[in-house]
Parts: sequence; C-alpha cells; structure tokens
Amino acid sequence: MVLRRHWVDDQSFLAMMGLSQVFPGANGVKLTVLIGLRLHGPAGAAVALFGLLSGPFMIVLAIGTLYAGIGQHSIVHAMLDGVAAAVIGLTLATGLRSLARSKPGPLGLAIAVATVAGVGVLRWPMLPVVATLVPVSIGLALAKARRP
Amino acid sequence: MRDGIGDTLIALAVMFVPLSLLSFGGSNAVLADIAQQTIGVHHWTSERQFADLFALSRAAPGPGSMLAALIGWKVAGIAGALVATLAFYLPGALLIYGAAQVWDRWRGSLWHTAIERGLAPVAAGLFLSGGIAVLRASPAGWPEWLAAAVTTAALLRWPRLHPVPLLLGGAALFGLLAAA
Repeated sequence: MVLRRHWVDDQSFLAMMGLSQVFPGANGVKLTVLIGLRLHGPAGAAVALFGLLSGPFMIVLAIGTLYAGIGQHSIVHAMLDGVAAAVIGLTLATGLRSLARSKPGPLGLAIAVATVAGVGVLRWPMLPVVATLVPVSIGLALAKARRP
Repeated sequence: MRDGIGDTLIALAVMFVPLSLLSFGGSNAVLADIAQQTIGVHHWTSERQFADLFALSRAAPGPGSMLAALIGWKVAGIAGALVATLAFYLPGALLIYGAAQVWDRWRGSLWHTAIERGLAPVAAGLFLSGGIAVLRASPAGWPEWLAAAVTTAALLRWPRLHPVPLLLGGAALFGLLAAA
C-alpha cells in the first residue's frame, strides 16, 4: 500500500505499525482499520475490515466443508499434522525472533519465561497470567526508561 | 452439542471477545488459550479435530488465522462461524479505532516507550506458549515435536524462507510417512 498505491507515506505507515504493536488484536485487522480510517473515516475502516475478512471467511468455510467430507482418512490427518508442524515452527521462530529483537535484558527475559511457564507449560488461563505480568513488565520498562 | 444453538453462540462470543483483547502481538498470542478452551473446557473438538482445524486455518489465506471461524463453524454451523469471527476480530478493531483518535497526543511519550517495551516479552512468551499448546494437543506425538523444532531452527537460521514450501513440505513428508 505504501509502495504501489501511495495511499499512505512511509512515516504514517510506521506510525500505524507502532500503534498496532501496542494494542491487542490480529495484526492485519489493526492495520486495515487504521488505513481505512485514514483514507475514508469510519466508513473506510468498516469497508476495509469487511473486505479483509469476507474473502478468507468464505474460503475457510469451503475448506471446512471439504474437510468434513474427507477428514476421516488417516492420510489427510497425517498431512495436516505435517502442515501444523511447519506452522508451529513459524510461530515459535516468530516468538523467539521478536524476543531477541526487543533486546529484553534479564528482567524481560524472566517475564517471557514466566509467561511460557504459566500459559504454555502449566496451562493456566491466559487472562490472569497476562493481567499480572503485563503491568509488572510495563512497570519495569518504565522504571528503566526513567533512569537517565 | 449439549446446549441449544443460542447457548453455544453465546459461549463462542464469551470465549472469543476477551481473547481478542488479549492477543498482544497478533492472534497467535492467544493460541494456547483457544486450544485449552476448545478442547479441555468446552469439549467442542477432540485433540485430533483441533489439530486438523488449526492446520486448515493456517493453510488458508487470511489475517493471522481464521481458526475462530473454523471452530465456530464446527460447533454451530454458519452462524457459529460468523459469531466467532466477529467476536474474535471486532473488539480489537474497535479498540484500535478508538486508540487512533487519541494516539497522536501520546506518541513518543515515556509511557508509550514503556508500554511497547513492556509488552514485547509477554507477547513473545505468548507466541511460544501457543506453539507449545498446539504441540501438546497434536496426536502425532514426537515426530510433530521434531518437525516443529527443525522448522523453527531452519527459520531462525534462514529468516527469509518462504512459509508455503514449508507447509507443503510438511504435508508431503507426513503424508508419505503415513502411507509407507
């Protein structure tokens, strides 16, 4: 969108990225809303969001229906396991890379480990874990930022 | 389905709305909780079915994942898919919409930096937890762990690897192993 259509310039695109990194939600959805909003106000945001979601929604339903038809074959399960393994690899690599890129320091690393221990290993519900760790983590970052 | 369709739709919304607002860093962040609630709490899918739906949702195009739509569709048909999709994407969209209105006053402040830096390790931890949760739910056992570990290592070594060949390679490898 920056390169081809010149709808937004580099600077505002980066600002949008920054904004969507701070807030929760699917990344594509957040950027879509921000760009739609910038171009055409609330209606732009709504139309952009509808456009983003409706196509994949239809496709995924078609795939689901197909799966209901052929999902009993063990070879289909095996192939889907293979896809899942690759996707999990992508997810784990993204997590590790973004952790490394944020240069977390020992305390940040401890927060990341605590998150994995609580949610991933002990399977505690996400809401209380996140509601505890996020304020602690932001507090630590704030204290660090205040130090000259 | 134990309850009436209305109850199921409400349960879908009650599950996905909070997750929408917890998905720091993207929808992968709440993968662990989606797996846990779908399989363990609501018994909407078996581990086998969840693993299949997860793979299908990622093989399809779309923002992050249409996993919510597939789960909704599995438990309550088209209505379920619609409710789950809206519940999972709309709250985050409304939040960012509201945030965009007030953000400029904020930008570059100490708080902004602290929030961004403070969220990063939690978001990374949630991504890793999501991967682990799906691995634990996977019926394929250790070959799945091994394949995921190899993929992770390969992606860290060669960050520009395109995902599609990886997905197809995984499907082919596991398919052949099962057929042999």
